[in-house]
Amino acid sequence: MRVQASPARRNRARLAVSLLAVMILALGFVVRLVDIQVVRAAELNSEAEGNRSIPVTTYGTRGDIIDRNGVPLAASVMRYDITAAPANIRDFKRRLDDGTTLTISVDRALEEIAAITGQDAAALKTLVHDALRDTPDSLWMLVEKGITGEQLGKVQALRIPWVYFENRPSRTYPNGAVAGNLVGFIGTDGPQAGLEYSADTCIAATNGSSTYERSGDGVRLPGSTVVQEEAVDGGTLHLTIDSDLQWFAQQALAEQAMAVGAEWATATVVQVDNGHILAAADWPSVDPNDVNASNVNDLGSRLFTAPYEPGSTFKAMTVAMMIDAGLVSPTTKLIAPGRFTIPGGYGEITDAWAHDDLPYTVAGILANSSNTGISVLTDMMSAEKRHAYMEAFGVGSKTAVGFLGEDAGKITDPAALDVITNYTEMFGQGITATSAQVASIYQTLGNGGVRMPLTLVTGCEHPDGTIDHLPPTDGVRVVSEKAADETVQILENVISQGGLRHNAQIPGYRVAAKTGTAEVAENGRYGGQRIVSVAGLAPAEDPKYVVVVTIGKPDTMKTSAAAAPTFKKIMTQVLTTYRVTPSTVPAPNIPLTW
Amino acid sequence: MNLARVLAEPQPTTPIPAIPGRAPLRAVEVAPSRDQRKARPRTLYAAITVAGVFGILIAQLLMSIALGEGAYQISALQGDQKQLDRRAETLTERLDLLSSPQLLATSAEFLGMRNATTPAFLRLSDGAVLGAPASAGVAAGAVTGPDGQLLVANSLLEQGVLAGQGVAAAGALDEAPPAAPAPGTWVVVGDASASGAASASGAAATSDPAAAGASSGSAVAGSVSSSTSGLPTPNTH
Repeated sequence: MRVQASPARRNRARLAVSLLAVMILALGFVVRLVDIQVVRAAELNSEAEGNRSIPVTTYGTRGDIIDRNGVPLAASVMRYDITAAPANIRDFKRRLDDGTTLTISVDRALEEIAAITGQDAAALKTLVHDALRDTPDSLWMLVEKGITGEQLGKVQALRIPWVYFENRPSRTYPNGAVAGNLVGFIGTDGPQAGLEYSADTCIAATNGSSTYERSGDGVRLPGSTVVQEEAVDGGTLHLTIDSDLQWFAQQALAEQAMAVGAEWATATVVQVDNGHILAAADWPSVDPNDVNASNVNDLGSRLFTAPYEPGSTFKAMTVAMMIDAGLVSPTTKLIAPGRFTIPGGYGEITDAWAHDDLPYTVAGILANSSNTGISVLTDMMSAEKRHAYMEAFGVGSKTAVGFLGEDAGKITDPAALDVITNYTEMFGQGITATSAQVASIYQTLGNGGVRMPLTLVTGCEHPDGTIDHLPPTDGVRVVSEKAADETVQILENVISQGGLRHNAQIPGYRVAAKTGTAEVAENGRYGGQRIVSVAGLAPAEDPKYVVVVTIGKPDTMKTSAAAAPTFKKIMTQVLTTYRVTPSTVPAPNIPLTW
Repeated sequence: MNLARVLAEPQPTTPIPAIPGRAPLRAVEVAPSRDQRKARPRTLYAAITVAGVFGILIAQLLMSIALGEGAYQISALQGDQKQLDRRAETLTERLDLLSSPQLLATSAEFLGMRNATTPAFLRLSDGAVLGAPASAGVAAGAVTGPDGQLLVANSLLEQGVLAGQGVAAAGALDEAPPAAPAPGTWVVVGDASASGAASASGAAATSDPAAAGASSGSAVAGSVSSSTSGLPTPNTH
């Protein structure tokens, strides 16, 4: 028998089932909602953000290195890489100005690019066709790196749909090798040499990052830029170098170094009153734009990094300390023996020319560069005292410049001093110094006995206006003003009465200078090689500029006459550049003999 | 309990019988009291509200249109700015190169100039000559070495002749032949070969001082031939 359910009950059951279904459905939605909104919220948000937002690196600009007149020696520029997506490389239609369209084949497009970038078109085609064959689905390949903004504009004008451009912040050195040895250069792994390396904390920029969202057609959505990190520009490094003078010094140095077959040469110009280096020339010099053209040994600045036995240019320092100690005056009468016997039978010191005992004044000893005469002076002062003077002149310690790889030179401790070096170091043998240190000695003599710290960098100016990396400016009194001035007067007589008369005298000006022809120790012996130098001041009546020219191991001319013409040339240019008017009073004559 | 059962049967409603002789009753409208009138919703407010909502919607629409348009404008202007920045950078770079000492010195040498070897000054107040002036001799040296390369290298410069510079060269050589006649002068890399491209971008061609110098070169040469001192007389300033 079939029991027929009453209609009311059937209705209620139907209601319950549908209610249950609705509730299950609602529960499903709730679970899904919680899952999306709470459980996986962060993940999904970032995914969504990633789909919409574009991360960009904002580049801070590396600071320029500029000379004293604001001329950029190293400047930051933007270069561009051309990239392409092999997956998209195919022929395309170009709409011409007259409204017609032209189908541009891949090869044609590559030829057009090569014509602009200066690449070899055949090589470029091979590169792209290889990529198309090997990695047809790739979205990135490099077509050319480091093109200029001008070239970029031209390539963009080709409107090739499958090429893209990337920024490549780069460095350029508009003056080429001018101060190239000082400025240094940047390699693929960052700064490699010179100030680019040592002043990196000043000029380096910090890149920033930000994201923005963009619409389907690539337009940046307003207000969607989020800066994660601000880019910070590097500071501007101010140098004391005068780029025009620097060029001249390098030019004059290169001419002479090539003429005499030198191995290396340096020249420097220092302002007397503040120790600022106006020019610091090295030969061979580096063109930072093309470092590979240079020998790896020539990349630094020998002016600071190459100590050598300076020879007779040191004699001026010896005389100055003797006068300062009150032991002699420029006119003190002495005998320069033909041979000076070193006590204890360690041999004899002689002069560059054979002579009998000569009645020289102190001025005569310096003007004639007598080693035996200097040895007589040496005996007047204890080794400790002489070393204290030399150290005060800066011998044996790095200059305040602190150039990358700078050498302090070598001075023997007085306690460990052997009896030969005890004499020879007073005329610059058995002791080493860099050209920068020699320049510092002459700066001290020119500045009335006060040694100013040698300065190459005057400061680092940050974009916010703050200035740091300030150099020391405190001078040190080394000898009395009288001793310094009298030494300069003697040095003037080296020019007016000595052998430099024809080579180093500048008509109309009073120049004080000393030559040095130092023997070079090789394998423990002094050989035939020489390092010749001239260090001097002008105008002698009120010294304003120091010029030191050093020529290392010349082939054809092994005397200081190799360096003198360059000294004269550079000093002439310095006097002209800084408008030093000719001297009005003739040089005083100090008797050299008696 | 069923209420229906306790309630009395409703009396059948009978219409009010019309009283004969009297006019039938008119329906009287009940005038709303003041309070009632106040309580009634006002059309004006509704209209204002609706209009306001629409106004806001339209304003929002317009604003977003304007904003969207602005975004495109910003995008376009930023593109322009990028182009201009790039151009400025290119020109600055070029200017720095053109003012490099190597280029200036080679150009001066090309024109027959030499570095003075003895400094001398002319005092303007009384016209006195200070120093010992002398003409520059061979000792002045040359900017390029025996191999024809710059002694102070700059790989951003190259040897070449700019369009039209040959005329100036001929003029300069007539009057004062340099010690070693240079085949050309030094130019910024790319200038000598890209003379065609330079004419395409007009600004680059006109802002090129080397090219400008070349065009005025013939005028300088003319004044040189008329002077007797042998020194070129500047025809300007």
